[in-house]
Amino acid sequence: MRRVNRIFTVIVFIFLYIPMIVLAVASFNKGTDIAIFQGFTFDQYKELFRDDHLLRLLGNSVIIAVLSMAVATVLGTVASVGIHSMRGKLRSAVMGLTNIPMTNPDIVTGVSLALLFAFVGVMLRINAVLGFWTLLIAHITFSLPYVILNVMPKLAQMDPDLTEAALDLGCTPVQAFFKVVLHEIMPGIISGALMAFTMSLDDFVISYFVTGSGFVTLPVEIYSYTKKPIQPKVYAMFTLIFVAILILMVAMNLLQARDSSKKLRRKEARG
Amino acid sequence: MKRKWLSGPYVLWMVLFTLIPLGVVLYFSLTDSMTGEFSLSNLASIVDYWPIFLRSIWLSIFATLICLVIGYPVAYYIAHCKPTTQRLLQMMIMLPMCISFLLRTLAWVALLEDTGIINNFLTSIGLSPLPLIRNNGAVILGMVYNYLPYMILPLFTVIMKIDPRLIEAAEDLGCNRRQVFAKVVLPLSVPGIVSGITMVFVPAVSTFYISQKLGSPGTILIGDVIESQFKAAYNPNLGAALSLVLMVLIFVCIGVMNRFTNDDEESMVTL
Amino acid sequence: MSQELIRLTNLVMEFDGERVLDSINLYINDKEFLTLLGPSGCGKTTTLRVIGGFLTPTSGDVLFDGKRINDVPAYKRKINTVFQRYALFPHLDVYDNIAFGLRIAKLDQREIDERVTEMLEIVSLKGFENRKVTSLSGGQQQRVAIARALVNRPKVLLLDEPLGALDLRLRKDMQNELKRIQQAMGITFIYVTHDQEEALTMSDTIVVMDKGKIQQIGRPEDIYNEPKNAFVADFIGESNILDGVMLEDCKVKFFGRTFTCVDKGFEKNEPVDVVIRPEDIDIVEADAGHLCGTVTSVTFKGVHYDTIVDFKGFKWLIQTTDYCPEGSYIGIRLNPEDIHIMRKSEYSGMFGDYSSYSAEYDEIADAEGSEDET
Repeated sequence: MRRVNRIFTVIVFIFLYIPMIVLAVASFNKGTDIAIFQGFTFDQYKELFRDDHLLRLLGNSVIIAVLSMAVATVLGTVASVGIHSMRGKLRSAVMGLTNIPMTNPDIVTGVSLALLFAFVGVMLRINAVLGFWTLLIAHITFSLPYVILNVMPKLAQMDPDLTEAALDLGCTPVQAFFKVVLHEIMPGIISGALMAFTMSLDDFVISYFVTGSGFVTLPVEIYSYTKKPIQPKVYAMFTLIFVAILILMVAMNLLQARDSSKKLRRKEARG
Repeated sequence: MKRKWLSGPYVLWMVLFTLIPLGVVLYFSLTDSMTGEFSLSNLASIVDYWPIFLRSIWLSIFATLICLVIGYPVAYYIAHCKPTTQRLLQMMIMLPMCISFLLRTLAWVALLEDTGIINNFLTSIGLSPLPLIRNNGAVILGMVYNYLPYMILPLFTVIMKIDPRLIEAAEDLGCNRRQVFAKVVLPLSVPGIVSGITMVFVPAVSTFYISQKLGSPGTILIGDVIESQFKAAYNPNLGAALSLVLMVLIFVCIGVMNRFTNDDEESMVTL
Repeated sequence: MSQELIRLTNLVMEFDGERVLDSINLYINDKEFLTLLGPSGCGKTTTLRVIGGFLTPTSGDVLFDGKRINDVPAYKRKINTVFQRYALFPHLDVYDNIAFGLRIAKLDQREIDERVTEMLEIVSLKGFENRKVTSLSGGQQQRVAIARALVNRPKVLLLDEPLGALDLRLRKDMQNELKRIQQAMGITFIYVTHDQEEALTMSDTIVVMDKGKIQQIGRPEDIYNEPKNAFVADFIGESNILDGVMLEDCKVKFFGRTFTCVDKGFEKNEPVDVVIRPEDIDIVEADAGHLCGTVTSVTFKGVHYDTIVDFKGFKWLIQTTDYCPEGSYIGIRLNPEDIHIMRKSEYSGMFGDYSSYSAEYDEIADAEGSEDET
């Protein structure tokens, strides 16, 4: 049974990675047709680094991702502490609010924000209201719930006496947060921030509706290729991004593995 | 008790950028696109799009079920690996999600095209090419491919948390392996199944890119219609009405599903 | 001897309309070891948290050195706490945990060093400075928690069931240790526990609580020997509690017989509860006894036998070193000083009958008491 399951799992992984392989191979292709391999070349990579436009779009994506991550992480962490102290109806109301962008389809979130911005634009008589700021607001909005949902469980796991112990030893509530609580919930904050970052970097649907011609991110630009043939250097770019993320994840994985084996050893040493 | 005010800025932000936009959507869907006066005509014309709604729901239910059937064994397999393997496989599930889903879908186009990689291969070994693209099957494949990780990860989280002593207890009480699975493991994975279904169904039912690239004009989905109301036909009022109906449909679906499970606020499993 | 340090007057605490503390009046002297004793949910931890500043009472006052401190936040009180599950900071090592409060108070490094070293010596943890607190055993963590609180030289130390998580042997050692530290440092200890033996061993004063009310305040000997009502009699030690009538001073009637006792000050013919401790009863030959009954069960307990004797349908627990086999017909004698008289209370008739006696009563009581309370 377990062996059947293993084979099945391998097949599913192959299924998940086929398009990656296609993209990676295409990035070394001499020809422009992704379906026909005409010979090996690094030209696409050279092209890529000469293309200021693509690199600037990538830069735009990163800027939005970093800014929205920073704002969402701070705002979300502070909010989590607040929500954690709530009880009953108030708490469910706020958590319900948090779940709206999570359960709403992206297209509805995008459309609703676009309409809001258009509405405000008309009221304030601003012409091209869509751009950097609307994009940033949208990204912060859909990142916030991820921060909250990662930080809240850490707060719940934390021994509530720790805060009281800090107060007991003379900390003001603010000191208690920075000296004790923050250390305890840090893993949640980090994973929330990482999720916010990747969600923002990868988002297409919402960005597509709330951005104007002035400030475009990479995924939105790629969508516009629907109309014109895609340039193979884009494959090169994503192959590089893929490798970069792969290295990052492997590194993190190794660090974690080392950390946990250290913990295990310590536990064993204690008997 | 003052601490709950810390979530004030967050609540304000979420009200401004999720609740009010939904209000704006409601406003737009109840006004005429030309005169701006109150009108029910947008909602009335929903009837014309009813077949497309039904097709979207039908196709995404199908894709969701396939995801569940494929995802469960995989999640089960990963959950029973050694912790180091577990982390590695979990990472490998998340890795494809970091690459723009637009490009991954394009890679599938390259694979499935009439003159694409698979058909080229088939002709080269003397078989006749297959009609792989621009049909319902291709759209479902695209959905399954893109959203499968969203099914596997919550399932994995839940299965992993099942206390092994419960399984031993069931065996002790006379269950054979199939009964252990049916009577203990499966019921305990219901929260994961529910959040997996939600996380696949919602983006699948509202997608527009997948159907544009892998489907035919005969398989357009409700997402395509909404998108074209904003980007091509420019009738935001009709688009708003369609979004509103889509949102209500999804909330009804999730509500019905949650009836079967009494899950609490934080049951939306985070990745 | 010593002066009053803390006073609680008419303290009331309500959570969501539920009254958890009901007009608590209590004063605590300087350098006193005072124990709040009661079953879980009796309000003892709530009382402690009010004194610590973690809860603001619904009404009533908390006075410290004569000054009202209701609205003084926890971090400004000269009171420190040892928490139930220690609440050590997992991201800091032993030294940094102990130095935490001193650093907040911005003492200079030399003094911090001195005081932490001194504290480590007092709790016998020298050499553990740089250990992670998560790598310590329960008993060691306990000592760190005590050191972390005492290093700030508080006027009062609050201890919330600090020994609850330790095993029996370690608990006994720590009881002596705590008493020694308290006497050496001359600090007021306010100690919360549900363990009556712990309370009797360590305290100068015991406050017995139930249902948010103080049932009795007194020295351990007084609480044990002169319980005020059936609840106290039953909670502290084992008791046979019977209905009686006080005929006049020093004359009480129960089971149809008149006994001589030492209690005075009751109304004529006032109905009372009569307490007889199981270890005070002497077993004699049937014809020489004040009362006669049949042994229904005998359990060996190590030091003594728990013998249940049926007297006209009412079952008594007798603790004796003499073995009486099941079924034997015996008599008992009661000396006047072994009969304690209590006024009737809301607890009358609820305790002190051993008809449903189970040999495991101790364990059951322990399991119930160790549940957390809020």
